[in-house]
Amino acid sequence: MAAIEKNHDYHMVEPSPWPFVMSVAVLVMMVGAVFFMKHWTPWLFFIGLAGVIYTFYAWWADVVKEANNGVDHTPVVQMHHRYGMILFITSEVMFFVAWFWAYFDGFFRVDDVEQYARVAFTGGHWPPAGIELFDPFHLPLFNTLILLTSGTTVTWAHHALLENDRQGLRWGLALTVALGVLFSFVQYLEYTHAGFSFSGNLYGATFFMATGFHGFHVIIGTIFLAVCLIRAQRGDFTPQRHLGFEFAAWYWHFVDVVWLFLFASVYVWGAWGVALHH
Amino acid sequence: MSQAAHLEAQATGHGHAAHDDHTPTGWRRWVLSTNHKDIGIMYLVFAIIAGIVGGLLSGFMRMELQEPGIQIFHGLAAMVYGVDGDSAIDAGKQMFNVFTTAHALIMVFFMVMPATMGGFANYFAPLMIGAPDTAFPRINNIAFWLLPVAFILLLMSLFFEGAAGTTGFGGGWTVYPPLSTSGHPGPAMDFAILSLHVAGVSSILGAINLITTILNMRAPGMTIHKMPLFAWSVLVTGFLLLLALPVLAGAITMLLTDRNFGTSFFAPEGGGDPVLFQHLFWFFGHPEVYIMILPGFGIISHIVSTFSRKPIFGYMAMAYAMVAIGFVGFVVWAHHMYTTGLSLDVQRYFVAATMVIAVPTGVKIFSWIATMWGGSITFRTPMLWAIGFIFLFTVGGVTGVVLANAGADRALHDTYYVVAHFHYVLSLGAVFSIFAGWYYWYPKMFGYMYSEFLGKLHFWTMFVGVNLIFFPQHFLGLAGMPRRYIDYPDAFTLWNRVSSIGYYVTFIAMLIFFYATWEASRKKRPAGDNPWGDGATTLEWTLSSPPPFHQFSTLPKIDSTNAH
Amino acid sequence: MVTGQFVRKLSAAATAMLALMPAYASAQEVGKGHPEPGQFHLQQSVTPIMDSIVAFHDGPLMWTITFIVLFVLALLIVIVVRFNAKANPVPARFTHNTLIEVIWTVVPIIVLIIIAVPSFGVLSDQLTTPDGERKYLGSNIFSFGEVDVPAASLTIKATGEQWYWTYEYVDDGVYFDSNILGKASDNYVQTVKPGQPRLLAVDNELVVPVNTTVSLQVTASPGGVIHAFAVPSFGIKIDAVPGRLNETWFNSRETGLFYGQCSELCGKDHAYMPIAVRVVTAEEFQAFITALKESRDYASAVAVLPAIQ
Ligand code: HEA
Ligand code: HEA
Ligand code: CUA
Ligand SMILES: [Cu+2]
Repeated sequence: MAAIEKNHDYHMVEPSPWPFVMSVAVLVMMVGAVFFMKHWTPWLFFIGLAGVIYTFYAWWADVVKEANNGVDHTPVVQMHHRYGMILFITSEVMFFVAWFWAYFDGFFRVDDVEQYARVAFTGGHWPPAGIELFDPFHLPLFNTLILLTSGTTVTWAHHALLENDRQGLRWGLALTVALGVLFSFVQYLEYTHAGFSFSGNLYGATFFMATGFHGFHVIIGTIFLAVCLIRAQRGDFTPQRHLGFEFAAWYWHFVDVVWLFLFASVYVWGAWGVALHH
Repeated sequence: MSQAAHLEAQATGHGHAAHDDHTPTGWRRWVLSTNHKDIGIMYLVFAIIAGIVGGLLSGFMRMELQEPGIQIFHGLAAMVYGVDGDSAIDAGKQMFNVFTTAHALIMVFFMVMPATMGGFANYFAPLMIGAPDTAFPRINNIAFWLLPVAFILLLMSLFFEGAAGTTGFGGGWTVYPPLSTSGHPGPAMDFAILSLHVAGVSSILGAINLITTILNMRAPGMTIHKMPLFAWSVLVTGFLLLLALPVLAGAITMLLTDRNFGTSFFAPEGGGDPVLFQHLFWFFGHPEVYIMILPGFGIISHIVSTFSRKPIFGYMAMAYAMVAIGFVGFVVWAHHMYTTGLSLDVQRYFVAATMVIAVPTGVKIFSWIATMWGGSITFRTPMLWAIGFIFLFTVGGVTGVVLANAGADRALHDTYYVVAHFHYVLSLGAVFSIFAGWYYWYPKMFGYMYSEFLGKLHFWTMFVGVNLIFFPQHFLGLAGMPRRYIDYPDAFTLWNRVSSIGYYVTFIAMLIFFYATWEASRKKRPAGDNPWGDGATTLEWTLSSPPPFHQFSTLPKIDSTNAH
Repeated sequence: MVTGQFVRKLSAAATAMLALMPAYASAQEVGKGHPEPGQFHLQQSVTPIMDSIVAFHDGPLMWTITFIVLFVLALLIVIVVRFNAKANPVPARFTHNTLIEVIWTVVPIIVLIIIAVPSFGVLSDQLTTPDGERKYLGSNIFSFGEVDVPAASLTIKATGEQWYWTYEYVDDGVYFDSNILGKASDNYVQTVKPGQPRLLAVDNELVVPVNTTVSLQVTASPGGVIHAFAVPSFGIKIDAVPGRLNETWFNSRETGLFYGQCSELCGKDHAYMPIAVRVVTAEEFQAFITALKESRDYASAVAVLPAIQ
């Protein structure tokens, strides 16, 4: 077929190896994950993971190139990206719904008489017998403040970018990344001081999986922001066009909001009137 | 000259620089594809392959159930494991459950969903809304390629240890713990879980792509209320996928950690609750059944309108009925759990909420009938499938209403009545809509006409076959035959035998389908741009058959005359 | 009742049809406590709960769904006959008719409400353990309750194991296991007591007194999987979940053997853990339970009961 000129603003993406390569890497990683979990060998998993990470890099490098070539990302294409990102975050929200659901199932139905095994195990109250909770107004509060502050620094970066204040952009981003790292570190500290374990009890399961998945998202968000910082250094964003930055900020706010829910329901509400662990 | 070719001829000289200097060829065209039509075709091929595998698995099940006693699975197990006597029987019993589980997972995740939301939605939603492609072509491609990955993981699961001493996961597609945790300690279940994770990611990505495309890439003038109903159905289904699948992902992640890392989400001895999993699963699972049927609703609307040569009756009600079904579909999940010990009030609520769905669904059924009413109908093959769909889906739908009543479900839950219900809406509902779409769009996708005789023969054989399979299963269920049974008391013999005979008829129907497809590709009867005449009004019929590699290089303008 | 008559006529017609097939010539009556060959409706009821399920299913539910299906079919036939291209060469162009749309929205709502009324009654009966005062619907599902059911006077705990049931007489502290009769190698055909149905017969049946409200607690063994306890002619089905104690109740008005099967997938032998309830007279039950308490041995306790023919 002969070349056809396009007369619209959509981005007709060139054929790309990355989707297929990524799929192969995912296959290796998933098979490797089973091998890993069954203690056969960890290597297959890490090979797959390396493939996945590499492909993410290569794929997004292509996207960044297209973003920078001034042709592909027309206003309507940018609109697609916004929709895509919002939808993606929506699906992430639903993923957390599952973890909150599990948590509240324990929380609200802990004294359900027909669940005799649960009542026997927990003593009929939340947190379950023998579980010492964190003081919510200790490290968790500190982390809340860190995340809230990081929300403002990322907004600062955004405003700086809008006013083409490159210095402010870099500082705002760098601070946000630093706060993200700090949050993860504090979370790690907190985990090492936990008065309950991950395995063998519902509280530990819901607590660690919910906060753990949140922590994982913090790390993803931090990387996302760090990439934006690198791109900012390179001079990628303009006051008019900086979708990559905006998405990192959205994602960061989403992570922030999830934390607020975790803080309020797991740390504060869950510890209401209970002896605490220091 | 077709309207589209005309548009494209005009489209020289202005606009941006061309990006597609050449149509990719060979394996690159498919493997590296960023073209929604090629990806759509790959999805359809994939769905057909999965349909064959899933159909053959159900064949083994029906052969087993043809007579009381264990018929074939001890033999199969003997072949596979090289054991005999009691060990072969034991392995065979487990193998039956593995087959049932694999059959269901394959049909649901690798046949119906790829065919509708993968194949038809990808190929035709952009054409219908006048878009040159989807919004995220690379994401589109990975959504496809993750499916073979998920399928391979599922197939691998069949060959690893599940329950002690046997391979594969035999806990049903609902993967309830503790059978899916302590009940299957081997890696088979981990493979199955990861398969579902990957299939889920694929669907979420596909949904993001399609929602964005439909919301954002409609041709100038095509407001959302002028958009064809198939696009509406894909839009609603996309949201169901987006909101339901992540919850499944969470639930099966909990299974994974319970199995491998000692958490106790579902382990009572650690304060967990197996029923929690059922809530999470069905919060996904019930929307999932509408995910499987809504695109079919969209397809049927177009076919009914095309062959009646009459516009859709009650377009707005049709669109918003789907939205309503989608909404209500999220708040009825526990009707699958009436026997788990839910309180009276909770059961009452779910009875009421579930029955509500019959109302918007009725609106759809009656609007299709009203669309045909007064029409000038030609009974071409797609129309036969569509009419068959309307009737058989109604049969499956009303038995759903029976089951919605917790009081009656007490007698019917986990019996073959449920199996009959959901095959009527799936194997006679969703699958009929897929074949309807297949024959309707075959000439458009491949440029050739199928044989009307073979298409009709396929329809009638399949119609007889699947009704023979599944209608008697209502009787079995009423009489109390539990589902997921390899063997049954002798009293259930008659209807099981009829059901199995029905399978053989259906099998012949499938052979006719493959022959018809092969015949059409050999005979190469040119179909023309629009083989269906003036009843076919949506934009895909303005294009050549098959459409150009990139269509709508100049976007079509929609005015008030060519609405839906 | 009219519906009952309809169902009976239908079943007579179908039985006549079945009679043409030699193997099923004996399918004369509906299963009581077990399915009959070729049966195509619910098993016969011996409890007030199953009475109301049968009445609800064979009545409002069957009538409406049959009517809806036939109505849709009739419309489709009319369309095929009247609106094919030959009969009607020029299609109409209408796309709206508010009145008809309102009708087909409102009428189903009314139909559903009519279904919901008895549905809620049937459901409430099932989930409310009798206290001796509350009245139950029985087969008159549009009433507000007419059937007296005595308060529960016997508590039995059924525990699902992989793959058999353990029954405990909670007040008497005695329990026993109940396994399927026969072996996989002989396709479970060898039953100790001849004439009992394959796959349903068990070694140790659960023995309960007639006309007595039995409160049934159901669970599964710790560390086990989910099963479900179901006896169709009693109209009960309840999941046996590890760590959970579910409750239901039944009150059989007839003596005899009533079979059920495990109704939640529980692994390899899911099809092979049947449930058999032997309903005996009050005196017989007293003798049985006394003997069981004394000997703690099912075989010798059950020997006090009259043999099953
Ligand atoms: C495409 C898939 C699909 C669809 C569309 C449906 C549609 C419906 N389903 Fe079904 N269902 C399944 C797939 C589907 N189901 C599956 C797979 C299972 C089993 C899962 C498992 O356990 O493995 C299941 C199980 C299932 C159960 C659980 C049974 C049990 O396990 O005990 C229930 C209970 O409420 C139910 C109800 C319904 C209802 C009320 C509808 C309604 O949406 C139907 C609405 C349609 C109509 C009613 C017909 C048309 C309407 C009219 C003509 C108007 C007039 C009608 C009236 C006034 C009644 N379904
Ligand atoms: C879409 C879903 C779907 C489909 C199509 C089918 C189709 C069939 N199913 Fe199944 N089935 C399920 C979903 C489905 N099933 C589910 C969810 C369960 C529950 C599992 C569980 O308990 O966990 C189940 C369980 C189930 C049982 C109960 C097993 C048990 O409880 O032990 C039985 C028994 O007869 C059965 C039989 C059949 C038969 C004979 C067919 C025949 O109709 C098969 C004939 C083949 C086809 C109709 C496929 C043709 C399609 C194609 C070839 C693709 C075409 C594609 C394009 C044109 C693009 N199925
Ligand atoms: Cu026990 Cu099924
Ligand atoms: Cu449902």
